[in-house]
Amino acid sequence: MGDWVQSLIDGGMVPAAIPAWVHYLTAALVFGGVIVFGFVLPIAGITTWVERRIVGRIQSRIGPNRVGPAGFLQWLADGLKSMLKEDIVPTAADGPLFRFAPYVVMTGFVGTFAALPFTSALIVADLNVGILYVTSVTALVVVGILMAGWASNNKWSLLGGIRSAAQIVSYEIPAGLSIFPIVLLTGSLSMQDIIRSQGAGPFSWYLFANPFTFVAFFVFFVSALAEGNRTPFDLPEAESELVAGFATEYSGMRSVLFFMAEWGNLYVIGAIVTTLFLGGWQIPFAFENRIVQHVLEFATFFLKSYGVGVLVPIWLRWTLPRIRVDQMMTMCWKYLVPIAFVNLLGTAAWMLWVAPWVQMLVRVTLLGATFAGILMFLRRVVYHLEYAKLGRRHLSFNPLGTARSPG
Amino acid sequence: MSLAGFEVEVQRSAADGGVVTEDMTLSMGPQHPSTHGVLRFVVRADGEVMKEAIPDIGYLHRSIEKIAEKVGWHGFLPYTDRVDYVAAMFCNHGWTMACEVIAGIEVPKRAEYCRVIADELCRLHSHLLSVGSMAMDIGAFTPFMHAIREREYLNDLFEELCGSRLTFHYMRIGGVGWDLPPGWIEKMAHFLDRFEPLIDEYDRLISYNKIFTERLGGVAVITAEQAIDYNLVGPNLRGSGVDYDVRKDVPYSIYPELEFEVPVGTGEMGAVGDCFDRYIVRMREMRESCKILRQCIRQIPEGPVITKVPRNFKPPVGDAYVRLESARGDMGWYVVSDGTAFPHRCKIRTGSFSAISIVQLVSRNLMIADLIAVIASLDLVAPEIDR
Amino acid sequence: MGLGNYLRTIKEAVQTIGEGMAVTASHMVRKPVTLEYPDRLPDDVRVQDTLPFRYRGMLEVDLEICTACLACERACPIDCIVIDAEKDKAAGGLVMTRFDIDMAKCMYCGLCSEPCPTGAIHHTPEFEGADYSLESLVRRFVKAPTIAYRPKKAGETDPQIKPILDRGLRYIAEFAKGGES
Repeated sequence: MGDWVQSLIDGGMVPAAIPAWVHYLTAALVFGGVIVFGFVLPIAGITTWVERRIVGRIQSRIGPNRVGPAGFLQWLADGLKSMLKEDIVPTAADGPLFRFAPYVVMTGFVGTFAALPFTSALIVADLNVGILYVTSVTALVVVGILMAGWASNNKWSLLGGIRSAAQIVSYEIPAGLSIFPIVLLTGSLSMQDIIRSQGAGPFSWYLFANPFTFVAFFVFFVSALAEGNRTPFDLPEAESELVAGFATEYSGMRSVLFFMAEWGNLYVIGAIVTTLFLGGWQIPFAFENRIVQHVLEFATFFLKSYGVGVLVPIWLRWTLPRIRVDQMMTMCWKYLVPIAFVNLLGTAAWMLWVAPWVQMLVRVTLLGATFAGILMFLRRVVYHLEYAKLGRRHLSFNPLGTARSPG
Repeated sequence: MSLAGFEVEVQRSAADGGVVTEDMTLSMGPQHPSTHGVLRFVVRADGEVMKEAIPDIGYLHRSIEKIAEKVGWHGFLPYTDRVDYVAAMFCNHGWTMACEVIAGIEVPKRAEYCRVIADELCRLHSHLLSVGSMAMDIGAFTPFMHAIREREYLNDLFEELCGSRLTFHYMRIGGVGWDLPPGWIEKMAHFLDRFEPLIDEYDRLISYNKIFTERLGGVAVITAEQAIDYNLVGPNLRGSGVDYDVRKDVPYSIYPELEFEVPVGTGEMGAVGDCFDRYIVRMREMRESCKILRQCIRQIPEGPVITKVPRNFKPPVGDAYVRLESARGDMGWYVVSDGTAFPHRCKIRTGSFSAISIVQLVSRNLMIADLIAVIASLDLVAPEIDR
Repeated sequence: MGLGNYLRTIKEAVQTIGEGMAVTASHMVRKPVTLEYPDRLPDDVRVQDTLPFRYRGMLEVDLEICTACLACERACPIDCIVIDAEKDKAAGGLVMTRFDIDMAKCMYCGLCSEPCPTGAIHHTPEFEGADYSLESLVRRFVKAPTIAYRPKKAGETDPQIKPILDRGLRYIAEFAKGGES
């Protein structure tokens, strides 16, 4: 982006009398605005719609279906409603901190979009410490949550904030440790480099490169879920225990900011996972037409990150119960961190000492095992349907399909 | 809500480094998403670990026992539904049984079968809500919705039987209010065919889920002695390993003719008497109820369903204490008659009332998240506690 | 905790979580059970008509067959039924001037409909009774002084009253018929 602005200045498109940094700043703001309002917020909003529809089907009901076609405008209606609500700041709450906390959380979340590689050319800032930047910026969320918990002047919020701080800070470790095997394999921290060093099809993804990265995928996925405060790790906002945890005292648009950050964070998790393990925007064939190429790359990236980062966590959230605080800490420090260390050392050892033909063999085996696993899973799903004695007439594969008639 | 009148001793301790710490006093207030009904707990906690959780009841007191003295024998039956609206048939049954004992009325056989069918369906109803809410409190929202879906089918059955989905008022003094409608038995059999596999599916979804068992196993262990001392009944008592069921040990109605087992907690995920045991006892009781229902379908005789009792019912002077196995345990009804058209006194003993008394004992050194699990596993319902 | 225990914990966790996810996935392809009431039902379906006959919805009084026996007023435990009936020699029987049911108090127990000799007071499948003021919930059934009905020993012959009476009798026939006391 910086080069593009520079080219505009050089080409005389913008008045040269104004200092260059003003141009950069304007461009940054405009780009930022476009990305935030055109992509980030709609993603967060539409994810709420997707989640509610999926949850509906999981629970044998339909989700929102009144506002707009199949309830698609529900999120707009909800956002509008929240904006029109009274802005309640508790008298005894710490005013400035209370008001500032949602913005910190949003910053921590939106800031990551600057480094996400959507296509081979569409990346706002191809930092050479890309992945490190992303993990660092998401840690701002901890500060925001602690601020919210403390400033609410509510013991329940405080508990929620403290739990969340402990959780996010702890799970940074296995997340970071799981990134390192990938960095070892690539040799660079830059997001685009990581993607470019993977190939196009599933065969050359880092996910199947060696058994250690395979395990690292799951470790990273679980840690990222924990950092995003998603069930099974949603203690900080445990609805049935602490009302809404650190966000109890927030109403209207401020609470919407918190929850948009949570849902949008899912997409960021998906994007990071796709970049690191699933080959990013790589597509098997190259097109001459650059527009077609980039559209396909964008679609690939988007579908992969949405599928793994949004749909699977939604599915997990509505299947699993919540883990208790001490069990969560046990899981992090006694299970995930040692496994992550083993992954790191294992990858290093793999790179050094394992012959290429063994690597190829293991890659094929891992691919095959994954396919077999998915098939077994589908068979299990069919078993459940048969056990509940559900014939064809009880099934509906139409995701927008609805209800029965009475009688 | 202030803590006035609640002398909670806040402990201040000075550690070696000279740092003075103070307990945190929280009010898990009357409005809370997961206290089942309107309950309040004053929690003294040291961060996440509780020192004590003191229950505060009375938010749902409606003077139902006093109302009995005003509305008369027949008029009180709808009020009994509200004593425990989650399992209303048992309350109907208790009141009618007590009146029949005082007046010496014999209930026809078919009426007894109808009563037992209604009771066991209501047990399913109540247990579904209990396990569903437990799953929801632990954080899994889907099993709750599945339980509610099954309850909706049960509600439809009840609606056909007696016209109402929550406050049934099905039984009358001397029998039941309506005979089984034509085709209802087939519908119930069809429901049971659908429902039994779904209990297994529910087990596979949540009961043996590792997170769920870790959350519940070994938490809040209540030994058999403690359970008996604190007067726990029902699945709470059986979860602690005590094999006591009013239907088997003090049989009433037609239970002697029915074959079923009484599930007892075995400590499979921790110790005997932990939250998981109480939960799994309820799941197994649902299966036993299905068995009972199938036997009733086979064995129900023809005949009248009520022994008519005059509108102006005046039983002789006397009193009666009857016990029945409600969804929450041994429910006791003590009714005193003074020969007039209005009862002299009615006293209801409910399982949740004793269960809430053990929360204070069991909550020491638990985490706040565990408190929720304990409350859910004891199956406390506020209307039963406060009446 | 030994290595075997450690690995077993991980294996159990993965297994049970996978099983739960399979159950949830199987639900995603099942038909939802929702009934889209009130505005997305087929045009000719009123939910009220699909409810069972015994459904205890809002109370309704068929004044044509009400005998003003006051049995319902006596039976109601909440005293939400108020009936004014006087003997009027000139009109030839009991004349009702007031039959009010306060639906705000009614608890839909059905104790009033049981002792009714003709089934005049009965529950209907109506359940949509929400309104804006408490006073509007008092249903006043007597618009002008009405003569109470007198059941004919030989059966009702009036073609206007007979269907109402038949329906009322069918309603109270649903209640349990007793054996000997």
